[in-house]
Amino acid sequence: MAKLPIKNSNGLFEIRLESIGGLGANLAGKMLAESGVMGHGFNGANFSSYGSEKKGSPVKSFIRWSDDDVVIRDHSPIEQPNVIGVFHEALYKTLDVTSGLLPGGIILVNSTRDFEDIKKDLNITHGTLAIVDALGISVEEKTKLNTAMLGALYRVIDFLNPDSMREVIRKTFEKKYPHFVEPNLRTFDRGYNEVKMITYEDPTGDGLKEFKRVVPGLGYKTQIMGGVITAQANSLKKDLSSSRQGFLPEYKADKCIHCAACDSACPDFCFVWVEELDKKGRPQMMLKGIDYQYCKGCLKCVTACPTDALQEMREIFGYADKHTVKHNFPYVNGGAK
Amino acid sequence: MTNNSKVAEQVLTPETGNKVAEQILTFESGNEMAAMAAAQINYHIMGYFPISPSTEVAQYLDMMKARGEHDIKLIAADGEHGSSGICYGAAVTGARVINATSANGFLYMLEQMPVQSGTRFPMVLNLVTRSVSGPLDIRGDHSDLYYALNTGWVILTARTPQEVYDKNIMALRIAEDSEVRLPVIVAYDGYFTSHQKRKVNYFKDRKVVQDFVGEAPTNFPQIRDLSKPISIGAHMDGNDFFNNKFQQSEAMYAADAVYKKVAAEYAEISGRHYDALELYHMDDAEVAFFALNSAAETAKIAVDELRAKGVKAGIISPNYIRPFPRAEVLEALKGVKVLIVGERADSYGSHGAPLGNEIKALLQDARNTETIVVNRVFGFGGKDFFPDDAHAFFELALETMEKGFAEKPFDYYGVNPGLATENLINTPVIEAQHGDVYKSGLIHVTQNEETGLLNVKVPPIRQLMNKPKRIASGHGACPGCGIFPALELFFKGIEGDIVVLFHTGCGYVVSSAYPYSSHKQNFIHNLFQNGPATLSGTLEAFMELKRRGEVNVSDDATFIMVTGDGGMDIGMGSAIGTALRGHKLIMLEYDNEGYMNTGSQMSYSTPLGHLTSTTSIGKTQQGKTFHHKDTAQIMAACNIPYVFTASEAFPQDVLKKAAKAQWYAQNVGTVYGKMLITCPLNWKSEEKYGQTLLEAAVNCNFFPLYEIEQGITTITYDPEAKNKKVDAAEWLRFMGKSKHLLKPENENMLNEFEREIERRWIKLKEKHSNKLL
Repeated sequence: MAKLPIKNSNGLFEIRLESIGGLGANLAGKMLAESGVMGHGFNGANFSSYGSEKKGSPVKSFIRWSDDDVVIRDHSPIEQPNVIGVFHEALYKTLDVTSGLLPGGIILVNSTRDFEDIKKDLNITHGTLAIVDALGISVEEKTKLNTAMLGALYRVIDFLNPDSMREVIRKTFEKKYPHFVEPNLRTFDRGYNEVKMITYEDPTGDGLKEFKRVVPGLGYKTQIMGGVITAQANSLKKDLSSSRQGFLPEYKADKCIHCAACDSACPDFCFVWVEELDKKGRPQMMLKGIDYQYCKGCLKCVTACPTDALQEMREIFGYADKHTVKHNFPYVNGGAK
Repeated sequence: MTNNSKVAEQVLTPETGNKVAEQILTFESGNEMAAMAAAQINYHIMGYFPISPSTEVAQYLDMMKARGEHDIKLIAADGEHGSSGICYGAAVTGARVINATSANGFLYMLEQMPVQSGTRFPMVLNLVTRSVSGPLDIRGDHSDLYYALNTGWVILTARTPQEVYDKNIMALRIAEDSEVRLPVIVAYDGYFTSHQKRKVNYFKDRKVVQDFVGEAPTNFPQIRDLSKPISIGAHMDGNDFFNNKFQQSEAMYAADAVYKKVAAEYAEISGRHYDALELYHMDDAEVAFFALNSAAETAKIAVDELRAKGVKAGIISPNYIRPFPRAEVLEALKGVKVLIVGERADSYGSHGAPLGNEIKALLQDARNTETIVVNRVFGFGGKDFFPDDAHAFFELALETMEKGFAEKPFDYYGVNPGLATENLINTPVIEAQHGDVYKSGLIHVTQNEETGLLNVKVPPIRQLMNKPKRIASGHGACPGCGIFPALELFFKGIEGDIVVLFHTGCGYVVSSAYPYSSHKQNFIHNLFQNGPATLSGTLEAFMELKRRGEVNVSDDATFIMVTGDGGMDIGMGSAIGTALRGHKLIMLEYDNEGYMNTGSQMSYSTPLGHLTSTTSIGKTQQGKTFHHKDTAQIMAACNIPYVFTASEAFPQDVLKKAAKAQWYAQNVGTVYGKMLITCPLNWKSEEKYGQTLLEAAVNCNFFPLYEIEQGITTITYDPEAKNKKVDAAEWLRFMGKSKHLLKPENENMLNEFEREIERRWIKLKEKHSNKLL
C-alpha cells in the first residue's frame, strides 16, 4: 500500500509545472506522474492546460497523486499546489506563476540568477526556493532541459526515488534512440545534484500564498454582441518576449545595407523603419532597429541578412529592454505598452 | 502506449465470484484507451478526419499500426462528411467500423448519422465532446452531444479513461445485438477525460476482448455475397417511412435491456459493473445533482464533504442517455426533495436544457410532485468545474428545499457581467489603417494590348517598407512560423484596402485569440470547409450594396480568402464552386504540408513518405503512402484567369504575382495562389533555416514557381536555367519529418518521390513552352 508522506487537506499531493510550449513540460509532467503511479504505487492523474496554444505560449502541466486506495475525483486544474516547477523564468513578467503555493511548498526555477533576485521577481514570500540551471545543463549535455528539471524535482520532492525515473528514462530512449540514454541519465543526475535550495520563513504566519482564479474583465454586459472586436490590431499590447528561449538577434546598424531581407523573413514584424534622406539627399527607407517586445527569437532574420548586421546572440538579462527600438505606429491614447 | 505497465491484482466478480480475465494496470488518457479498445477489437475500417480533441484516437491507432499491433485499415478522409461516408459504406458490408470526432466535425457528419441508424447498420463512434462554433472554442462541453440526441444512435457516456475503454468494448456488442442493430456513440469529455491520464486496467490478452465481442454477425442483409444481391437505401413514402421509424424507435428502447445484459456479462470478465445509472450516496439523498461525465466525478468531492457535515447529498450520473434510463431515474429520485440538473449545453429558448426537460417530463408522467427540479447550464467551452462549483449547486438545492419551490427553474450558472472599465476590445490602439496608407504608387500593372497579358513593375522590397503591414505584431504564432512572412509579402504587392477571410487553422487561431485581434483591416473567420463560399457572399453583398448606393466601397478593395492546405482539402468543394462561379476574389493558400493546428496530421499536400502524427514511421509503414496533391493544377482546371505558386524565399516574384492577382481579381474573376511555407515545429527543422528550406524545395523542383495567366503557363523561376538545381535530398535532409527517406532501406520510396517530382516538372515545362497546353 503506497502512502503519501505529505498531503493537502483533500489527501492529495499536487504539482504544477509552469512553462512555455516547446520546453517539454508536458512530457516531463507525464513522466513524473507516471513514475508516481507505476513506480511508486500512488494513485494519480496528469493533464495539461490545453487549447490552441503554440510553441512559445504559456502552458501548465498538472500532476495529482493520492494514496493508492484513494479515488481521485477532481478534474479541475491545480490551484494550490505543494510544488511548482517553473521551466521558463521569464513567465513571471506576464503571469503569477507562484499563485496558490501551499504552506511548506517548494518552488523550483530554471535559472542562472541569484536567490534574492528570483525571490523578488517571482514575488515569493515563503516556502523553499530551489534553483537549477537546467538550460545550461541541457546545452552542455546536448539534451532537453525538461530532463534536468525532472532531476531537480526528484531532489526537492524527497519522498521520490530517483531510480524510478532513471528507469523511465532508460525505457523511453533505449529502443529507438539508445545513444540518448546516457546523456539523458547524466542530465537527470546533474539536475538532481546541482539544484540549490533555500527555505524562507513565512512572515505572515498563515503560510498560504493567495491564489486568484482568473475572471476575465469582459462579461455579458461588456462583450460586444457576437464576440466582435472593434479595436483592430490590439495584439500590439501583448508582450511576447517571454517566448524567446535564450537567443535573440543583435543589430549592428553600421553594417546594415537596409535591403529589407530581414523584414521579409520576420514572422513577428519586429523591424522598425523610418524614411530619411540618404547621402545624396534622396528619401530612403532606413532600418532603425528591432522592437524586441514581439521578437520570439527565431533568428530567421540572421539567416536572411546578407551582411553581418544581424547576428545571433545569447540573451543577457536586460539587453532587449535596453536596445529595443519601439515601433512608430500611429498610436491612439498614447500608444501601446 | 507505455511499456511501463504491470499486471493488475486479480479481482473477483461481484456476481458469481468467478475470476476475471487477467488485466494490466497502466496510466493512460481517455483517447489512448479508446484506441486501445479499438486495436484489441481489431475493427476492419476506421474512416476519420482530425478534429481536436478526438484526433489522438486516430493518431494512437496509426502509431500502433506502424508497430504492427492491429490490422485496422485507417482511412484519412477529406472531411468528417467524407469520413462518415467511408464508415457507412464499410458498414453495409458487415465490416466492423469505428470513427472518432468532436464538435463541428460531428455537425459536419450530422447528415449521415440518421442514414446510418435509419438503415440499421451498426458501428461505433467515439464522440469526444466539445463546444460547437461559433465563436470557435475548442474545449469541452456537451453542445455537440446534444445534437446527437435526435439521430437515432444509442449513446453511452464515459466519465473516466477506464470507462472509455470498457464502454468501447460494450458498445460494439450492443450495436450488433440482433434486437438493436443500431450505431452507438461513446461520449466522453474533451480534454477533461480525453487528455487526462488516469490509472486504467485493460485486458492483457486481446483474445478476451475478441471473445467477448464475438465474430461480426453475418446473418443480416449485407453487401458481401455477390450471389445474393440486395438493395440498400430505397426511398419511401410517409406510410412506409413512418413504420420504418417505429421499428427504429422500438430497437432503441430494446437497447435498454440489451445494455443491461451486456453490462452484466462484461462485469463477469472485467470485474467492473456499470448499471444504468451511477449512483453516489443516493440511498437516502434529499438533495441530488444530476450530471454527465467528468463533472459528476468532480462533484463527488463536494458530496463527501457535505456528507461529513450530515447533509444528505448524492449524485446521479447516467451510463447511457439514449435510450434514456427512465425507470432507473424515477427510482433514484424517490425521496429526493430537490434535484439540480447540471448541463454543459443549452437548447436555446426552450426554458430548460434537454436532459432537465426530459427528467421533468418523466416526473410528470409518474405524477411525482415531490421532487423539485432545478435546471442549470454551466461550464461551456471548457470553463472549468471546480469542487466549489458543485458546492454552490448543493447550496442552491438546500435553499430550494427550504423554500419549497424553485425560484428560478432554469438559469445560467457562473456567468459574469464584466467590469465596466474593460475596454480592450473596443478602444483603438492605433488609428484605423486603410485607404491611402496602403497605396505606395510604386506598383504598376498594365495590360499588353496585343497579348492581353499583364506587364508588372514592382520596386525593390525596401521601397515598400513604409507601406504598413496588414497584420499586427503580437500574434501568437510559433517562433519561426512561415505563415505571416508569406502573407505579408503577398499583401505588400496589393495596393489599397483588403477584406480578408481566414479559414480555421494556425493563421486564424494565432491572429484572433479573443479579446485580441492582430488584424488591421476587416477580418472574418469561418470554418474551413466553407471559406471561399463565405467570402463570395461577402463580396457580392458589398457589390450589391454599392450598386444600390447603400455603401461607398472604394474601387480597389480586394477580397482575399486565406486558407491552409487543410482548408483546401475539406474545403475543396467550396473552392471549386467559387472558382467556377468566377467571383472576383483571391484564394491564397499557405501550404505547410499538414494539419498543423490540430497537431500535425497528414494532409493531402503532405509529400510521400513524410512523417506526420497520422502517417507514422515503424516496421509496417514509412510515413505517408501517396503523393502530394497538386492543388494549383486542380484550380487551373477550373479555367480561372490567374493561378500562381510562390514562396517567401523569392520575394520579388511574390510581389509581381500579388500585383497580377489583384488586377485579375478586380477586373476578371477568381484567382488562386499557393505559397509553400515552413512549419519548424512539425517539419522538425531549425527555425532560423526557414528560407533555406523553401529555397531548397523550389530548387529541387518539388515546388516549382510558376503562373497560369489566362490559361498560359509560365515558369517564373527555373532552377535548371539558373544552375541552382539540387536533388530532393538537399531539401529532405533538413527536416526531421523526412530525413528517414535518405536511409538505404527507403531508397525505393525516395526514388519514387523523385520520379513524381520529375514527372510533374517535365509536364510543367511542356506547358511553359507551349501556350496551348
